[in-house]
Amino acid sequence: MTAKVKEEPIGDKPVSSSLRITDDDLYRHSTQYRNWSFTPERLDQIRTEVNASAGSKAEKTLKQFLESHPELSREEEEAVASKAVPVTTHEELLLVNYFARMIISFAGKMNLPTEVAATAVAFFRRFFLSNSVMDIPPKEVFHTTLFFACKTENYFIGVESFAKKAKTTTDAILKHEFKLLESLNFTLMNHHPYKALHGFFLDIQNVLSGRVDMKYMGQVYTNCKKSISDALLTDAVYFYTPPQITLAILLMEDEALMMRYMQLKFGLQPDNGDGSGQSSQDSEQVSSNGINASKLLEVIKSCRSVINNKIIPAKDDAVKITAKIHYCQNPMAVIDRLKRQRESSSIASTPQPVETDSKRQKT
Amino acid sequence: MIAQTEYSKEKKVGEGTYAVVYVGTKQSNERRIAIKEIKTSGFKDGLDMSAIREVKYLQEMQHVNVIELIDVFMAQSNLNLVLEFLPADLEMIIKDTSILFTQADIKSWLLMTLRGVHHCHRNFILHRDLKPNNLLLAPDGQLKLADFGLARNMGSPQEFLTSNVVTRWYRAPELLFGARHYTGAVDIWSVGIIFAELMLRIPYLPGKDDVDQIDVTFRALGTPTDRDWPEISTFGTYNKIQVYPPPSREELRRRFIAATENALDVMSGMLTMNPHKRLSPIQCLTSEYFVELPEPTIPSELPKLKQK
Repeated sequence: MTAKVKEEPIGDKPVSSSLRITDDDLYRHSTQYRNWSFTPERLDQIRTEVNASAGSKAEKTLKQFLESHPELSREEEEAVASKAVPVTTHEELLLVNYFARMIISFAGKMNLPTEVAATAVAFFRRFFLSNSVMDIPPKEVFHTTLFFACKTENYFIGVESFAKKAKTTTDAILKHEFKLLESLNFTLMNHHPYKALHGFFLDIQNVLSGRVDMKYMGQVYTNCKKSISDALLTDAVYFYTPPQITLAILLMEDEALMMRYMQLKFGLQPDNGDGSGQSSQDSEQVSSNGINASKLLEVIKSCRSVINNKIIPAKDDAVKITAKIHYCQNPMAVIDRLKRQRESSSIASTPQPVETDSKRQKT
Repeated sequence: MIAQTEYSKEKKVGEGTYAVVYVGTKQSNERRIAIKEIKTSGFKDGLDMSAIREVKYLQEMQHVNVIELIDVFMAQSNLNLVLEFLPADLEMIIKDTSILFTQADIKSWLLMTLRGVHHCHRNFILHRDLKPNNLLLAPDGQLKLADFGLARNMGSPQEFLTSNVVTRWYRAPELLFGARHYTGAVDIWSVGIIFAELMLRIPYLPGKDDVDQIDVTFRALGTPTDRDWPEISTFGTYNKIQVYPPPSREELRRRFIAATENALDVMSGMLTMNPHKRLSPIQCLTSEYFVELPEPTIPSELPKLKQK
């Protein structure tokens, strides 16, 4: 567990009204902020380190394999060298995202609440910030995170009925539960943007009262809820707070509406037409609720570009990456495959489809 | 694995269905600690819900009136929670007839309890099991909310919550009626009952079972009517209960002899039947009761259990 923030315990002393604890102060004490918010550079570094450590382990395994099998032909050695390649940081990310996306659709099929699915995705992605897909295959923790998220979100389902619904075994679900808890640094609270969305949904109607169509707002809400689930698959969750993500999503949904809202709510100056949005003199303006509107808009826009930068891995990529991992862990499989290919081509002289082995691997 | 050697388990001090508690020492700074070792074998559904809740909520809260979770670690596939060592609880103090305490002492304990509850609520966390036994006392006199095994996030409007929470004597009327939607007001009710218990030195509403609890509660505080609680008739059991008149101010004064008018106001505010009208932690904390004399006793000067 990481060291706790040691500072003046909040609420201990009577404070004057200007020193009141704000919601932002409380958020900064949350584990989501303390343990799971990063700068982009730090996040890159974490992923690179996890990948490098698992990668060098894989290289070592391969080296040992080749050393202990001097009988291999050159062709076989080359096959191993070309098939059993440790995956890159980017490939890890692709695979994790591929499965994270599947968690959402799987949770939908199981009729689980949105927040449970969101927490499962958060757990799953955080798990792979300290574990490599080369060490623990994503499909082995897929059900574990979903089952565990049910428990932490107070939506308990017995492991047996969960296993039945998910068409897996109770042992498979529970196998990595401790490992998951440990990898999560024993921090289980998640603040998702859905609550913030509900809050803004109500506040927009209030602030723009009479100027927005209720039915239209309902549509905005539904669309945004879906977009949030998508945004949870991006790195925006590590760089921005839930309300910032929500505002970015709302901005993507209806920019004109949000600009009007932000003008009235935060005193954002209207666009002066030259495309720069803000003149330099009002950029430091702080609204009555203590928010610097132009700064806020800047943050939301950068958040929007992170959300837009989402990765949607193709199934083919996931299959290929999974095959690489499989061959790294079992270099002999490359040889076996080669032998089978040779045999079948000598018998039938019709080459098997190249994908066969990796397909058997797929999830 | 550092954690295992960093903390020593010296003496077993308690054993429950899902945990064993030890006292020990944190080696690096000699700090006294308690280790709650959560049994994990024998739970077919993996990690137990109470353990999950305890870890989840304590990790989020750093407050002088909430027990500190110092560390968490795994050892021999058991989950270990390292907690600050708190040798006493409020129940022990209340029950120990050799200890005398003043109105200022009561005010101090109530103040610390409310601060802890306020901190939970502003983090959108419901404790759902407040009782003297779960209010632990540090050697320096500070009171700490403990046992978050029943805690949960405040529900969103459409969410169903279970009414089977809070130890019976401290259960709010909406829970007695089986409400599926409720708020932090359930915790405030418990605090009100604890306040009464501190003044009386005996449990205020000791129901023998769930049905009796309804009777005991309304006999003491009056059966709510739909005039002061319009939603009450939506509870199925409401029509079947005995109607008692609410106590007059004079009756309350006679029952709580040492209480000032402001003290009675806060207590009655916390024990308001309609949860919407019940006082919030902020209303309690800013009430006249905490402004008027006597000032709350400084924690370090509060009565303590005699050393054995």
